[in-house]
Amino acid sequence: MKKLIDAIKNLALGLLTTGKHLGRRAITIQYPTEKWQMPERSRGIVTLLSDKETGKLNCTTCLLCERSCPTAAIKIVYDKDEKGKRILKDFIVDHGLCCFCGLCQEACNFAAIKLAPKYEFSTFEKEDLVWHIAKLQEIGRDVPYEKIERKKPEARPAVAKPAPKPTIAANPAETPTGKAHVIESGKADAIPVSEKKPKIVDKVEPEGEK
Amino acid sequence: MGPHHPSTHGVCRFLLTMDGEVVVKAVPYIGYLHRALEKICENRTYPQCLPILDRFEYCTSMSCEYAFCLATEKLAGIQAPERAEYLRVIMLELNRIASHLIWFGTTSLDLGAITPFLYGFREREDILDLFEMTCGQRLTYNYIRIGGVSRDVPPEFIPKAKEFLDKFPAKIEDYVKLLNENPIWMIRNQNVGILPREMALSYGDSGPVLRASGIKFDIRKDDPYSIYDRFDFNIPTGKVGDCYDRYLLRIEEMRQSSRIVRQALEQLPSGEIKTKVSANFKPPKGEVYSRIENSRGEMGIYIQSPGDSKKPLRVKMRGGSYNHLQVMPEIVKGGKIADLVAVMASMDIIMPEVDR
Amino acid sequence: MEIAGIFKYLYEMLAKSGLPQLAVDLIALVASALIVFTFLAVTALFLVWWERKVSAHIQQRFGPMRTGWHGWLQTIVDMIKLIQKEDITPATADRPVFFWAPIIALTAAFTAYVVMPFGKGLIVSDLNIGILFIIAITTFTIISLLMAGWGSNNKYALLGGMRSAAQVVSYEVPMVVAVLSVVLFAGSMSMMDIVNSQAKIYQWYIFRLPFGPIAFMIYLIAGTAESNRTPFDLPEAEQELVAGFNVEYSGMKFAMFFFAEFVNLFTISAIAATLFLGGWQGPFLPSWMWFMIKTLFIVFVLMWFRWTYPRLRVDQLMEFSWKFLLPISFANLIIAGFMKYSRWFNW
Repeated sequence: MKKLIDAIKNLALGLLTTGKHLGRRAITIQYPTEKWQMPERSRGIVTLLSDKETGKLNCTTCLLCERSCPTAAIKIVYDKDEKGKRILKDFIVDHGLCCFCGLCQEACNFAAIKLAPKYEFSTFEKEDLVWHIAKLQEIGRDVPYEKIERKKPEARPAVAKPAPKPTIAANPAETPTGKAHVIESGKADAIPVSEKKPKIVDKVEPEGEK
Repeated sequence: MGPHHPSTHGVCRFLLTMDGEVVVKAVPYIGYLHRALEKICENRTYPQCLPILDRFEYCTSMSCEYAFCLATEKLAGIQAPERAEYLRVIMLELNRIASHLIWFGTTSLDLGAITPFLYGFREREDILDLFEMTCGQRLTYNYIRIGGVSRDVPPEFIPKAKEFLDKFPAKIEDYVKLLNENPIWMIRNQNVGILPREMALSYGDSGPVLRASGIKFDIRKDDPYSIYDRFDFNIPTGKVGDCYDRYLLRIEEMRQSSRIVRQALEQLPSGEIKTKVSANFKPPKGEVYSRIENSRGEMGIYIQSPGDSKKPLRVKMRGGSYNHLQVMPEIVKGGKIADLVAVMASMDIIMPEVDR
Repeated sequence: MEIAGIFKYLYEMLAKSGLPQLAVDLIALVASALIVFTFLAVTALFLVWWERKVSAHIQQRFGPMRTGWHGWLQTIVDMIKLIQKEDITPATADRPVFFWAPIIALTAAFTAYVVMPFGKGLIVSDLNIGILFIIAITTFTIISLLMAGWGSNNKYALLGGMRSAAQVVSYEVPMVVAVLSVVLFAGSMSMMDIVNSQAKIYQWYIFRLPFGPIAFMIYLIAGTAESNRTPFDLPEAEQELVAGFNVEYSGMKFAMFFFAEFVNLFTISAIAATLFLGGWQGPFLPSWMWFMIKTLFIVFVLMWFRWTYPRLRVDQLMEFSWKFLLPISFANLIIAGFMKYSRWFNW
């Protein structure tokens, strides 16, 4: 008998708990007409940031973001000018591959790329998710950011350069992959060093000959 | 019970041999959610592995990242600064509460009471707001890094976290009143899916499932990692090992986790948040296995590093749900199909942890 | 201005117009059937919206908001959607059985309103076996459930149909016995007589202790089981059987089952209001308004049950009915008999 009274009491208590909520205001909002204010660190679409005064991109084509992306969503297409500096031609981000982890914005030292707190970018075709430099810059114009001031390094005194070692990658014909960027010297993963004899070609000039 | 089913917590298939309404044999078929995460990690550098590990068990992303960072830091001999350790503990415990709220919601949903699902998610929204304020994402955080955490918490985090902790116990009381002594809930859960002690030990179960069967083992106390030895919290243990025990245990764990977060917030020191780790991080040659107490059991990461490479040679992820799923066919024998649903919900099995 | 007066006036106009009596009666019957049908269709639409809103506010969210003011057009829009869906019949289904199941469900649901007192004098036909008629008709739904389960040729549907039939049959018995105790006091099975015997508020059967509240609780619990709602909604449990006996139905046929469920819900509540809460009796407001208020109140209580409690397992369900509700309802009947015989509370 006591169990019965307990059971009825608890059933009634359950009803009271849900009934309490009937009078309360709903905590959801009506999405298309009302939107939540996203926190400023919220990671949404990849955007390219430009300087506030000049309007130029902050990107210096250091390629650090491309290398840090775990899903290879960023592709940078660039040219090299006569001094060997890289000039940015196109910056392609595939938002279908991007996992919005933010590693690229952390790798960047120039405040050039940021994941803005915007999230409304759905499209009807998968190809429309691949965005190029113009669109990325346009979206990034109203994204607030803190500019990173980098001091120019002081001119180092001229040191005698040691004899450059002949590297396999110095021979362009042997570039293992056909990608747009150049493999750094010293990265001998593709071709084991011990097996191939280094070919000395014209480009390598030992110190002292010039 | 096919892969597309509203209560298989992910995608899992059961081949049931039934005798009328009684389950005679149950064979789980897994692999529907296999994403080859371990193989992907072999081709990513250590910092790039962290977003991958986020997705290992996305209900408790912080724990997965932390397990990986613990293993890597052990391997390379890095020590994270004090403030980073405290922040990590806060995030881990908040994540545990969030994960238990998901469990609470889905368990009641499976048993027919639809409303607690929404109440649980309402609480979880507050926690996710805290996370979004700090790292920018609500589910796959990419916050805990090798050597510390990625960013410091913003100034509004601590008051908001304290506000959440102040009103959370009242909310737990609400759920308790709704379900704990509810006679329907009790007859659905008591003496259903009893897991004996020896079976739990022999199948390698861990976490709340093991503790509900009477064995008091919690990695935070028995094999402490990070700074858990500085906090004062209890480990609830069950007696019988049925679904009701597991339910009560997880509710109590939520309370204990909020205790830990409160203590951590009070003791939070100032300081750096990340030890400097080189951009071309190459840990020395060796192998390491490190484990943490996840909300679903023991989560272990095994890393084999070749020594001079930026990428690991092998990363093995061990999740608690795998062992729980293995023991399920044993304990649902002789029960009804409704009991299978109740047991699967109370063991808190989620398929991404099983399938990776 | 009494509505019953309007109907009487119309009937007299029809009788004076010179048609043979048979034609007059036939026209009157068809007209009243159409009116009741329309009223029920509108009520079912309203109830679906009301359920969604109640469940939403219990869960602290909004529910339908975009279709019309606070979403009142939502059900109509859903119906339009369901009507234009393809009507799929599985190839291996038993065609006549599959076809007739939803029709029988709907017919059984609507027929019970022949004897429902909507207000003072607003009853289609005051049979003197009123309540017995309703109980007999609601039993027809079992046939339609079995037909749906069998005709779909699908093991999920069959399991769901059998379970549902078992559930409805075993909860009929306590329900009937609870109703019997009220009939005992009223002295007649006619619905009008039952309402008239509750002329004052302290005469309402729910307040006639000790048998009144117990009979009311038993009736309510058995009623939720009759209309397959939580905590007894195992036949439709999405989480276990993927919608049970109506898993193979789509389009208009599914809409018919859906409607039949909500009309059943309204029937249970209406009978509860009539038997226990005094029907259409009440001061100031017109009688049909009181009927609606009381019925909607019981509907609200049933919805509240649905969104609070978890589901019972099928064997627990059976056990609850046969081992718990039935003995209590018989004990209740005996107490009611004593009370009536000894004229203690017979005011």
